[in-house]
Amino acid sequence: MANNDIALMAHLMRRAGFGASYEELERRAAAGYEATVEDLLNPGNHPSLEMDVLERRFVDWREMNALEVNQAYWTYAMINTQRPLEEKIALFWHGIFCTGNSKCEHGRQIKLQIDMFREHGLSSFRDLLLGLSSDPSMIFYLDNCMSHKDAINENWGRELLELFSMGVGMDGESNYSEDDVKECARAFTGWTITNAIPRYPYGRYEAGFIYNPSDHDEENKTFLGETGNFNGDDIIDIIARQPSTARFISRHIYNFFVADDVQVPAWQSTPPRDEEAIKLLEDEYFRSGYNIGSMLRVLFNSDSFKNARFAKVKSPAEAVIGTMRVVKDYTSPKPGLHNLASNIRYMGQDLMNPPTVEGWHTGGEWIDSGTLVERINFAADQVGNLELPGVQDMVARVGSDGPATAEQVVDRCLELLGAYELADDTRAQLIDHVGRGGDLVPGTPEFSLRVGQTLQLIVSTQEYQFA
Amino acid sequence: MTTTRFTGITLQPSHTIGRAEFSGPGFRNPVAMVRGEDDTMYVVSRSYDYRPDGKRITICTLDEEYIGEFARGVTTAGEGDPSDADGSLIWPTAIALDSEGNVFVADEWLNRISIYEGDGAYTSKWGTQGSGDGEISSPSGLAFDQDDNLLLVDCDNHRIQKFTRDGQYISQFGSKGDGDGEFNMPWGITVDRNGDIFIADWRNDRIQKFDRNGNFLMKFGTSGSGDGELDRPTGVAVDKDGNVYVTDWGNDRLQVFSAEGEYMTQTNGDGSLSKWGKEKLDANSEMWQERDIAQGLERERLFWGPIAVTVDDDDNVFVVESARSRIQIFRRQVPVFFGGRL
Repeated sequence: MANNDIALMAHLMRRAGFGASYEELERRAAAGYEATVEDLLNPGNHPSLEMDVLERRFVDWREMNALEVNQAYWTYAMINTQRPLEEKIALFWHGIFCTGNSKCEHGRQIKLQIDMFREHGLSSFRDLLLGLSSDPSMIFYLDNCMSHKDAINENWGRELLELFSMGVGMDGESNYSEDDVKECARAFTGWTITNAIPRYPYGRYEAGFIYNPSDHDEENKTFLGETGNFNGDDIIDIIARQPSTARFISRHIYNFFVADDVQVPAWQSTPPRDEEAIKLLEDEYFRSGYNIGSMLRVLFNSDSFKNARFAKVKSPAEAVIGTMRVVKDYTSPKPGLHNLASNIRYMGQDLMNPPTVEGWHTGGEWIDSGTLVERINFAADQVGNLELPGVQDMVARVGSDGPATAEQVVDRCLELLGAYELADDTRAQLIDHVGRGGDLVPGTPEFSLRVGQTLQLIVSTQEYQFA
Repeated sequence: MTTTRFTGITLQPSHTIGRAEFSGPGFRNPVAMVRGEDDTMYVVSRSYDYRPDGKRITICTLDEEYIGEFARGVTTAGEGDPSDADGSLIWPTAIALDSEGNVFVADEWLNRISIYEGDGAYTSKWGTQGSGDGEISSPSGLAFDQDDNLLLVDCDNHRIQKFTRDGQYISQFGSKGDGDGEFNMPWGITVDRNGDIFIADWRNDRIQKFDRNGNFLMKFGTSGSGDGELDRPTGVAVDKDGNVYVTDWGNDRLQVFSAEGEYMTQTNGDGSLSKWGKEKLDANSEMWQERDIAQGLERERLFWGPIAVTVDDDDNVFVVESARSRIQIFRRQVPVFFGGRL
């Protein structure tokens, strides 16, 4: 099999999933690139996690109320899912449609929102917005439950336009006015939630969405130039057909799946990094009836995507899960999962608890001196652990062709980790370092140790921080 | 004239014990309980996986007097070799008392049985991970037989093993499968007054009954959510008349079967505010106000994660709910007229 096929498959799996072991890359490459894209876009063709067994061993998952329990669950799901794009698209929407536990204080309620992303994240954007508008954790997080027909709270109305669908502006122009924000908020009056049961004595119960017609503003509203007695779903219909929405969602998809672009607040005045790719996505958005899966199909099969290897900095979730999927730890229930999940937070991404409604800044902003050390220490600890089955697999594969030169060991390790590429100078230094230990004889403890050290050196490079 | 089919028994809600706490009066994700001397009971809290402080054995009474707690929760991280921490717990699953009142607790991660005196003082441990005779893999149910030997549900080996109290292997029965006498990740166990053994054959969605020597006698239950059907049964108990109580975990209900395995009745729970619960609300009075306006408070009555069931000699039926940190207690009643007024 051509190395280029593996490299391209590794690229696809890092972006559409969280990376893959070398055996999986070989299997998928043999099946073909386009077939793999289709496979990823149809997660329902694969079984979901066996929750009965998982809830038996992780007894707290039956209730799953605490944030930390949910973070552990999501980490496990990302590592072990047979539906990688289902988890990846949930992570994508979570980064845009932010809801935080710091305010909601109910991890299970946010998990139900993430489940909605899992279920509908690849389907119609309109339906997704409708689901979001009636999601209890979002209604609470952005105060729509405090918005009344005679006293609106514009928080939800504003963020729906600014952060969740259209963005402030594009091509140097504003996408909506302050009046549009208020009219949007008026249309969503009456979209509220039930009063919660307090956490004591037995624990929280989930809240429910309710529409209260007596608290809905029935007067005419003028929104984005259209006038009528609009309700929330009418507003979403209008939003969904805006060119600015196509642009905004396309840029988010590009930034998440293809290459790091400038941060969202700059999108009003800064053109897309790859205007051709954005145009492709915008066209598919309208052609498909706002279908996200269709947009991703076009994207993954495009040259823009295929040529964008290592064009984005891994998010903390990608950094942790990508390494775990290669070293094959936590492939079955065992204690300590929360400690593993906490590494994602230490690297700057507290899942289900983003810093603000704007979510996390991405790209180079993931990295500072502290988070970089966390990333390197974490990855080096994992790939240097010769007891882990995935590490043992890599050691065995490196040694499968008999005695190897330092250059062969370095290149084979790069390949097995996911077809990584190093700068010439870095690669030369690694080869020099590995070669200093003398002959590399497979089957010896020293060989395993030195392969492990080589893997550790690779994951400590700048290049490993890119997906 | 209206006739109602005689169902044998009814379950009258008695009261509820517990509240969600990591220490002190209350439980956290309880997974098992056993009745002790007089009106005492021992409750095993599994807790959140990341909160070892909530893992413990609570001693309390039926009318919710807190007596104390013992056994320390640990995680594998930062604790060194967990096998060094005698008496500690990581993934506790089951509890049983021998004839002298000593407490035996199974841990499915450590693959060991920890033994304590009735007041919680640690005494000893045994258990070796493996699949050979006397080796165990994920013990998930414990019950003493009439000879004071310990029957242990060896979940991941899909079998039942019998040990002396000090862990000497005696015998075993069962293997993986779905035929008679075979198991798929069995969980709960009980021994009835005749010495017969009932097993919650968890992933086969059925209950199996064996004689004291492990010979297959009968089975009942199939996958589903209808009357008499089961979705991952966890716990099983038998009352003094031979009726069989099953926590139907996936269906969030308790079902009762006759001694012949025929479906009799069921309940989805009827929880009420516990004494400890009221004390907590009294100390946080705004929660009383929140409850006054809360929607869907009736959900609080329903089972959520019924994981173990016990019946005592006084006809009290205890249902442990892992997701609600409480135990609902019912009184078994026989509806047949026995005298008195109309």
